Amino acid sequence: MLDRRIFREIDSVTILLMVVVSTVGIVFVYSAIYFQASQFVWRQIIWLLVSLLALLVAIMIDYKFLISISVPLYILMNVILLGLLFFGKLVANTRSWIVLGPFQAQPSEVTKIAVILVLARLFSEYREDRLSFKGFVVSSLVVGLPATLTALQPDLGTALTYLPILVGVYILTGMRRKYLVIILAVVLVTGFVGWNYALKDYQKKRIETLLTPNQDPRGAGYQLRQSKIAIGSGGLIGKGYHKGTQSQLRFLPARHTDFIMAVIAEELGFLGLLGVFGIYFLLIYRFFSTVWVSADRAGVYLAFLVTMMIACQFLINVMMLVGLFPITGIPIPFLSYGGSSLLANFLAASLVINVRMRRFRYV
Amino acid sequence: MARIYEDLTTIIKRSKITLYVLAGLIILVLAFYWKIQVLDHQKYWRMAEANRLRELPLTAPRGLILDRQKVILADNIPSFKVSLVREAVTDYERTIDSLALLLHLNRDELKKRIERYRFLPAYEPIIIMDNLKLEDVSLIEARKDEFPEIKLEVEPRRYYPFGLTGAHLLGYLQEVSVDEIRTQPEKRWRGGEMVGKAGLEKQYNDILTGREGKILEMVDSLGRPRAEISRTEPQPGRNLELSIDFDLQRKAEELLQGREGAIVAMDPRNGECLVWASSPSYDPNRFISRFSADEWLALVNDPGKPLENRVIRGLYSPGSTFKIVMALAALNEGIINESSTFYCSGAIELYNKEFNCWFRPGHGNLNLAEAIRNSCNIYFYQLGRRLSIDTIADYARLMGLGQKTGVDLPGEKEGLVPSTDWKRRFLRQAWYPGETISVAIGQGPLLVTPLQLACLTSVVATRGLKVQPHLFRGTENDGNRERINLPEAIMEKVIEGMWRSVNNQGTGQGAYQPGFEVCGKTGTTQLISRETAERLVQRGVEVKKTHSWFTGFAPRQNPEIVVTVLVEFGGMGGQTAAPIAGQIFKAYREKYVRQTNLQGD
Repeated sequence: MLDRRIFREIDSVTILLMVVVSTVGIVFVYSAIYFQASQFVWRQIIWLLVSLLALLVAIMIDYKFLISISVPLYILMNVILLGLLFFGKLVANTRSWIVLGPFQAQPSEVTKIAVILVLARLFSEYREDRLSFKGFVVSSLVVGLPATLTALQPDLGTALTYLPILVGVYILTGMRRKYLVIILAVVLVTGFVGWNYALKDYQKKRIETLLTPNQDPRGAGYQLRQSKIAIGSGGLIGKGYHKGTQSQLRFLPARHTDFIMAVIAEELGFLGLLGVFGIYFLLIYRFFSTVWVSADRAGVYLAFLVTMMIACQFLINVMMLVGLFPITGIPIPFLSYGGSSLLANFLAASLVINVRMRRFRYV
Repeated sequence: MARIYEDLTTIIKRSKITLYVLAGLIILVLAFYWKIQVLDHQKYWRMAEANRLRELPLTAPRGLILDRQKVILADNIPSFKVSLVREAVTDYERTIDSLALLLHLNRDELKKRIERYRFLPAYEPIIIMDNLKLEDVSLIEARKDEFPEIKLEVEPRRYYPFGLTGAHLLGYLQEVSVDEIRTQPEKRWRGGEMVGKAGLEKQYNDILTGREGKILEMVDSLGRPRAEISRTEPQPGRNLELSIDFDLQRKAEELLQGREGAIVAMDPRNGECLVWASSPSYDPNRFISRFSADEWLALVNDPGKPLENRVIRGLYSPGSTFKIVMALAALNEGIINESSTFYCSGAIELYNKEFNCWFRPGHGNLNLAEAIRNSCNIYFYQLGRRLSIDTIADYARLMGLGQKTGVDLPGEKEGLVPSTDWKRRFLRQAWYPGETISVAIGQGPLLVTPLQLACLTSVVATRGLKVQPHLFRGTENDGNRERINLPEAIMEKVIEGMWRSVNNQGTGQGAYQPGFEVCGKTGTTQLISRETAERLVQRGVEVKKTHSWFTGFAPRQNPEIVVTVLVEFGGMGGQTAAPIAGQIFKAYREKYVRQTNLQGD
């Protein structure tokens, strides 16, 4: 069943770019948490190897098949998320982790892949020029259910990363303006209700902080302040690897996860930052080029939604570091420390590679 | 070509637009990073530097206070203090709770103290406990990592090795008040700094303080030091060498034990004070801590007024010691000479009022020297009758009464020399001649401090040379002497009486020391305040309704020491004060004069 030809079509460029970004990440995780045990670095290296292996295995399976089993997969993941709410272990105040020996995994990361597969299945036969009302409701619910379950853990950051997928669907299906009005209304109402009844205090604080960053020097405003100081003090060429005072002296919070880009900006300066942005842009561009050569509608959806997910997460993270977006705990794909996020991103990217490999099937 | 079944152009077009939008956003974000990293670089660079560098003050050890033989009266010992750095606090309430528990502090007081210093910048540590016991130190040391917001430091703490001895003279330190910090014109004091609040500690605070050093260190976000960048050592304060003789001081305080009173001894040749005792005393070590307000308040409210420095703040009628001034005035005004006599029958009627001599049988006929020897009241009533109150006031002022002596201690009182002018101004009444009679034997509105009497005695002893009394040796005008406008011969005549008083079975014979010609004058003052006497009755103390004075000098020729003793409720001057003074003369002679004689042999 496997065509030998498709092996030649494995997109080594994408894989290479991903490995490069991940390696840069590991190098700076090492710098950022130098004072702490180096086991973080080893763990991340192992995760990277595991993710690569998982990617190679995943691309062996035709995405058509994956789409065909997407609905049970989606249901399974939602059941797991629901179970976590009741039986999950509380780690860092959220019930978002499954603990397996020394490794912890966040199912909500992997769930996004199931969501993307379900959406691709939903729209693979959809030939309308505009999104119908039924399509609008169904797609919103498909994304909304696991996002809500994740938000309840409570992990607002990860829940927020579901949103670009939905936006991707709206864009591709050509959503009408009246739905946009409905969305805005829903957002306003849930925003109001959420603010007053659902959001925890620290989450509210973070949003408030975006508006007034210097109010609370030790809270979320402190994080933003320290992040901006790290980035700004890096200057054009940076303070040098391992010489950033903000990160080395631990002023910078979550240096090895959400704020790793600030470490890079501090130690390598604007030029280093430009380099990392460049690699990212190449990666995103490469993903888009897959969208354009995709063999079928399902392929376009898969590749585009994955691209949206990764690109937006990148964009939100770098905006967050300089105060253009609330600090919500969103890691930067491939760069931040964190195993399940790395694995999820590699698996998501494997779908894009998968689509590119099998673009000649109907010729 | 490829798409046989499907037309994907619409959705591909939409994805392309998305790419352009994303690329545009990325460029926008990059521009923002450019602004922060390159355009605002200087600003953030400075913030990063301020983030990682911290300046820590190093307390300079306070200068020591030594006696004339370099016995240390005020020392420094290392002491531990704990401060809270609010900058490093994450949960304020929790921190207060756990600190109160850890250090056994009252939670509300701790909170109040922190609130009080709220106006200080958050990086400045607030001292929450000082003078720690060693077990507390090890407890905190062991749990350091749990409490990154607290700082344990060693600071030099004031210690007075002899406790009560010389307490009034040395004074004490207290924490600089919040108001003082707030109103200081330039940054001089930190929160929690200890400054001299009384005595020499206050008078010479600037000399004793020294200059604080500082450490510039690199810290991490929890305020934990990572490396020291630079260090300026503190400059210790200058030592203060006093004229006080510790042995005599201790002797004097022993003699005053259990009484309320004062003893001052000074060298008439240069004004150096050798003894400065005020009783009751207090132990300044007990409230050197920043957290002993209760103990301090208890002392403030103590009816025995232990905090009061009686040598310069106790105001008393001079009693018969004032007869020295009367004698000088009468001699100099030509009203009497040394052989003029008056007759004492034990009482005399003047201005329709009967005035008594303390010796009811009467002294008979006596001249000036005998009148001083016996402290005959009638003799001096006669002088009072012949001198106007204003003339008496002039001589009293000439001898230094009614004005500050200018000794180098804060809080000195002026006393009071009454005159017609004074009475008109403050009581809006005319002066009655009868009042002059009371003043003539040192009663009436007259008020003096023990130090003023010592200075007066010193002028007589030196036959008219006025010196500045002082405690700190080494100021420039040490021993500056100023001649007052009275002939030496007059002084000699008064001294003859003072000599007889001690050496010829006069009232001052209790001060007699064989071979050390002490000259002196006793005094007994009627108490003004009855309330004090009643208080003493309640305490079960036998009430002697008079204060007891003695002031004198020795030896008669080339005097070396003036001693003034006041004992509150001490009864007759000759009974209590004179023997005490005698003990001081004795101790002085044993220590100084015999040595000189041996050297002379």
